Amino acid sequence: MSEPVLSARAIRKSYKSGDALLEVLRGVDLDVAPGESVSIRGESGSGKSTLLNLLAGLDAPDSGTVAWDGSPDTGARRRAAFLGMVFQSFYLVPELDACANVLLARRILGRADTSARARARELLGQVGLAERAHHLPSQLSGGERQRVALARSLMNNPRLIVADEPTGNLDERTGNAVVELLLGLCTSANTAVILVTHNAAHAAKTRRSLVLTAGVLGG
Amino acid sequence: MPWYLHLALRQLFPTGRRFPFFTVISALGVTLGVALLVIVMGVMGGFAYEIKHKIVDTEGDVQIRARGAIEDYAAVVRRVESVPGVAAATPYASDVVMIKFGDKPAYPMLRGVDLASVARVTPLGKYMLVGSLDDLDDDSIILSAQLAASIGASVGDTIEVYSPLIINKLSNDELFLPRQVKVVGILEIGHQQLDSSTVYGTLRLAQDLYGLGSTVHGIDVSLKPGVNEDDGAARINAVLPEDIRAFSWEDSFSDFLWVLNLERNMIFFLLLFIVIVAAFSVMSSLLISVVRKTREIGLLGALGGRPVHVAACFCAQGLMIGVLGTAAGLALGFTALHFRNDVVLWITRVTQRQEVMRRFYQFSELPSHISLQTVALIVVMTIVISTLAGLLPAWKAARLKPVEALRSE
Repeated sequence: MSEPVLSARAIRKSYKSGDALLEVLRGVDLDVAPGESVSIRGESGSGKSTLLNLLAGLDAPDSGTVAWDGSPDTGARRRAAFLGMVFQSFYLVPELDACANVLLARRILGRADTSARARARELLGQVGLAERAHHLPSQLSGGERQRVALARSLMNNPRLIVADEPTGNLDERTGNAVVELLLGLCTSANTAVILVTHNAAHAAKTRRSLVLTAGVLGG
Repeated sequence: MPWYLHLALRQLFPTGRRFPFFTVISALGVTLGVALLVIVMGVMGGFAYEIKHKIVDTEGDVQIRARGAIEDYAAVVRRVESVPGVAAATPYASDVVMIKFGDKPAYPMLRGVDLASVARVTPLGKYMLVGSLDDLDDDSIILSAQLAASIGASVGDTIEVYSPLIINKLSNDELFLPRQVKVVGILEIGHQQLDSSTVYGTLRLAQDLYGLGSTVHGIDVSLKPGVNEDDGAARINAVLPEDIRAFSWEDSFSDFLWVLNLERNMIFFLLLFIVIVAAFSVMSSLLISVVRKTREIGLLGALGGRPVHVAACFCAQGLMIGVLGTAAGLALGFTALHFRNDVVLWITRVTQRQEVMRRFYQFSELPSHISLQTVALIVVMTIVISTLAGLLPAWKAARLKPVEALRSE
C-alpha cells in the first residue's frame, strides 16, 4: 500500500458534561489510501462528526496523532490546499453567486486567476449547474446548493475530501444523486473521500465501510 | 483582490440586490456627521477668513506703532518701503471724535489717511457706496454706511466734528469751535463694527483735530503677495528703531484670533461626537452581522481562512462604510455650503430678520471658507473612527473556532 493520504493513530477525545467526563473517541486508528473512499457510520451522538473534525484539523485530539501525507501539519493554511469539505447544511455564502462560492476556496488559497475562474465554471458544469453559475444560493434548491458545495470542495484539487452527512438535508433521490456525484468525481480525480453517513446504501457505495461504536472504529 | 476584501465588498453590496439597505443605513450616520462638520467648520472658517480680509483691507498686513506718536513718519515710511517684501506703507492718525448732524450725535473713530499712499495699502475704494476717495479733502469726510444712516446724513450734508482736545481747551477756558466738514462719500465694508462707527478723513484733518502737528499714530504696511506676515513684520522691525515696532495683523489681533480658534476647535471636537456615535452604530451593525454569520465565519475557517483575514474582512467593512459615509458627507456638506446664502436669505426673508442677521453676525452674507487641512482632518478622523468601529466585531469574528462556529444554531 502506498503512503496513506490520511493517517490517524490512537485518537482520543472527551468532553465535559456537567461534572462527568464524556469519552467520545477511545483510541481511533484510521489510514486512508490515495483515491480511496471510506464511509463511517454510527448512531447519532456516536462521535462521527467529532472524529471528522479531528481528521480535518478543525479540532485537536486529547491524545493521538493525525497526519496528512505523513505530515502532522494540519493547520489552516495547509488545509486550504489539502482538504475539501462538504457539510450537511451546505454552508454557502449567501451574498456570493454559485460561481463565486466555488471560487472562494481558491481565493482563500490566494490564487484566483483567470484559470481558476475557468476551473470553477468547469466544476459547476461537472455537477450539472453550468447554467446556474450566476444564481445566488437563495435561488437554488437544496440539491443544487449541495452540488455547489461539492464543486467548491474540489476546487483546489484536494488530496482528501471529508463529507459530513452531505445528504442529511436532502430527499432520498437527490441524496443518492449527490453521493453518486461525490464518489464519481473523487474517483475520476483520484481524490480520497471520507463519507460520514447514516445511510447504509450510501455507505455501501464506498470502497471501505467502517462503523463507529463506543468510540472505536470497526469494520 | 484578497478574498477577505472581496467578501467584505460583497457583504456590503450583495450581488443581485439593488439597494444595500444595511450599508446605506450604517453609512448614513457617518454621512450626517461629516456633512455637519463640513458645514459648521466651513461657516466658522468663513467668519475667520472674512474677518482677516476686513482687517487686512482696512489696516494692512502689518501695523507699525510707537509708544507715543511717530515723528518724521516720511523717513520711517521710506525706510519700511525699502525692506524686501514690502509693497507699500501709509501713515494714519486715528482716535475717537464726536460728530453731530442736526441734533443727532455719534462717537465714531475718525481715521485720517494719507491720500497719496492709502490706496496702495488699504483698498478702501472698492468699499465706496457713494462718492470716491478722490473727493476727499481737508474739509470733508467719508461716513461708514450704518453711521450715516443712524444720524441721517448723506453726501453733500455738512456735519460738526468735535475732537477730544475740546476737554483740554475747556479746562484752559479757551473757546473751541467744532470743525465743519462736508460728507463726500459713504462706504460699506461689510463688517458691522466698522460700518457703524468709522469715519474717514484726510491725515491733515485728523492731525489738526488731535493736535498731532506733523506726527502720526501709526503706519499701515502692505506686503507683496506670498510674503508671510510674521516674516514681513520681523524684517521691518530689523530696520526700525527700538521705540517703533511692527506687528503682523495676526499679532495685533492675537487675542481675537485665539478666541476664534478656540471656538472652532471646541465645535470641531463636539461635532466629532456625532461621528463617534455613528461609529457605535456601525459597530453594533457589524456585531449583529458577526452573530448572524457565525456559521459562515466557521466555514471560512474550515476552508483554510486565517483568523487575521476573517478579522480583516469585518474591519474592512468598517473602513468601507467610513469611506462611503465620508464621501457622501463631503458631497452633502459642500452642497449645503454652496447654497447656504440662499437658505439664509429665505429664512431671514420669511422671518423678516435680515437686519438682525447683519447686526449680530457682523456680515451681510453668511461667509464660508474651509481649508484643505480641515477637510483632510475630517476625512482622516472619520475614516479612522469608522475603521476602529470594525475592530471589536473583527476581534469577535477572529476568535470564533471553526468547529464551534459550524456547530452553532
